[in-house]
Amino acid sequence: MTEELHRRYIPDGQDNLYDTHKCRVLRVYKQTEMDKVFLFRFIDQEVGKNWKFKPGQFVEVSLPGIGEVPISICSSAMRIGFFQLCIRKAGRVTTKIHELKPGDIVGIRGPYGNGFPMEKFFGRNLLLVAAGLGMAPLRSVFLYAIDNRWRFGDITIINSAKYENELLFARELEAMRDIAEAENIQIIQTVTREDSPNRLKGRASEHLDKVMIDPKNSTVALCGPPRMYKSMFEKLVEMNYDPRRIFVTLERRMKCGIGKCGHCNLGNSTSWKYACIDGPVFDYYDIISTPGMLE
Amino acid sequence: MRYVKLKKEKIKEFLLALQDYGELYAPIKVSEKYFDFRKITNEQVDEVVLDYNRTLRPPRRFFFPEKEVLFTFNSKKVEMYENKEAFTSEPVVLFGVHACDIVGLRIMDSRFIDDQPDPYYRARREKGIIIGISCLPDEYCFCNVRRAEFVDSGFDLFLSEVEDGYVIRVGSVKGHKIIDATENLYVEVTKKDSDDLTAFDVKKSKMFTVSGNWDSLRYTLELNDEHPVIWMRESEKCLGCGNCTITCPTCRCYDVKDYPNLDGETGVRVRIWDSCQFREHGLVAGGHNFRPTKESRFKNRYMCKNAYCKEVTTAYCVGCGRCTYFCPAGINYKQNLIEIRGGI
Repeated sequence: MTEELHRRYIPDGQDNLYDTHKCRVLRVYKQTEMDKVFLFRFIDQEVGKNWKFKPGQFVEVSLPGIGEVPISICSSAMRIGFFQLCIRKAGRVTTKIHELKPGDIVGIRGPYGNGFPMEKFFGRNLLLVAAGLGMAPLRSVFLYAIDNRWRFGDITIINSAKYENELLFARELEAMRDIAEAENIQIIQTVTREDSPNRLKGRASEHLDKVMIDPKNSTVALCGPPRMYKSMFEKLVEMNYDPRRIFVTLERRMKCGIGKCGHCNLGNSTSWKYACIDGPVFDYYDIISTPGMLE
Repeated sequence: MRYVKLKKEKIKEFLLALQDYGELYAPIKVSEKYFDFRKITNEQVDEVVLDYNRTLRPPRRFFFPEKEVLFTFNSKKVEMYENKEAFTSEPVVLFGVHACDIVGLRIMDSRFIDDQPDPYYRARREKGIIIGISCLPDEYCFCNVRRAEFVDSGFDLFLSEVEDGYVIRVGSVKGHKIIDATENLYVEVTKKDSDDLTAFDVKKSKMFTVSGNWDSLRYTLELNDEHPVIWMRESEKCLGCGNCTITCPTCRCYDVKDYPNLDGETGVRVRIWDSCQFREHGLVAGGHNFRPTKESRFKNRYMCKNAYCKEVTTAYCVGCGRCTYFCPAGINYKQNLIEIRGGI
């Protein structure tokens, strides 16, 4: 519930708020059957040079003729000049995005949302819990933490998915194993619905007891389906994690990204939020005081 | 504030004079029961109705049209070109806006002209001229409990009815300019007119079927979130047509859609009014719906209209009565709120 968390982010350098900047697809990486990671670079170098974002923020990807979709950025905010989006083939627009090849052009506007208050995370241990596609925004936080390793305490990341072949960024985390060990980073990967030889079995919340970091001086960032949040909250509070330092990101059908279109409007009389400008990152107290966030 | 008086017989001349300032829209009778703001040509000036109850479509549509082209695009080049229409179009002169609708427009402003102003809305709104008119409530009105029965800003001119004419309040620089240019139409305001105004207000306040104010309604609604009867009973009647949100003077949800042309290359990106009463409103990728049931969508509108507001007034509902008046299922919004309040 800090000022900074709720500071509304205003992108500058745009005459028309709804206008997009052209971006070229540089690389396409296949993650899973449904997910692809796209690497984008701004065609206008001036825009690219000044374009910064915070972990947890999202952009609107626009394909003229098809439509716009909000997608959270999954690359490190420290690496400027390009950005990555992990996109699941879920609807009309994302299906079309999946057909893009290197060299193709899309429109991008943003970044929007408040993002994770990373400066609040400094000097503390970091626990990241991702379920399914939730790994995409948390990868941005994770990479940011690795790029600023000296600012953080111990780091644990739990990555979970239903099936082994749906585990996002699994190979990337696997490849980090040696460095992670040297850097005091614990990586837990778990699948819920099948037995896999090299993964743990069960939900993310079932593996919280394996987390090495000290709950007392920790920040937690969660991203996954709303159902997961409820069970995680109970567990985390029980384990003495500070509720003020539990952050989650929400998903809504944001059409504008700037608090106009009303699709992400939620709350009650004392806590009324637009997920696109007041969120999508909310803390524990926001979640419990604002009905509708987890429904 | 500046006051002048317009005699009843001069109202036609006044309307004709207003046409110099842009496209004139005023309420006329469009069917047996309904009124709507329509474009007024010189011949139609006689048809303007000054004592209408409420218009079918809310005045927000002149600044936030139901369907608006934001961009034209070229999908091959991936380029979008801003639609300049909102910036170059003739200003809208909206005559005969009731106080509640003016408050409604101010609520729209608070969302659309904030720290990230919507360029299209702002362009239309800034050049538009709003001319209000005083009115008497019918059984659907409850603007008094919403504190929207009287406005002191948000209009350029406001006509308050007195015995033989209208006392005009001037509310902006644009309003002053109009009065200055048409000075020969007006007469001085007398003591009798002032007394008439007071008498009109007293008469008006006695005509409302509810009294007091409903500022605390947001808490009552939250306390009755699990009301055993009302939500289920009323949402069961609801057809989910979205009429209540289309006619509402403060609803502002919109959807953005791309319409390609047949050449497969060019097309338009439009925004169209959306409604929280539609199933798709709460739908996200992967098929999860945040408001899956009709009841949850129904409740959402009541909460949005009564509990979400921070600016201008204490609620986004201004008490115009449109959602009850135009509901095809006969859901009585006002009566439901009274029921939630415990019959008061």
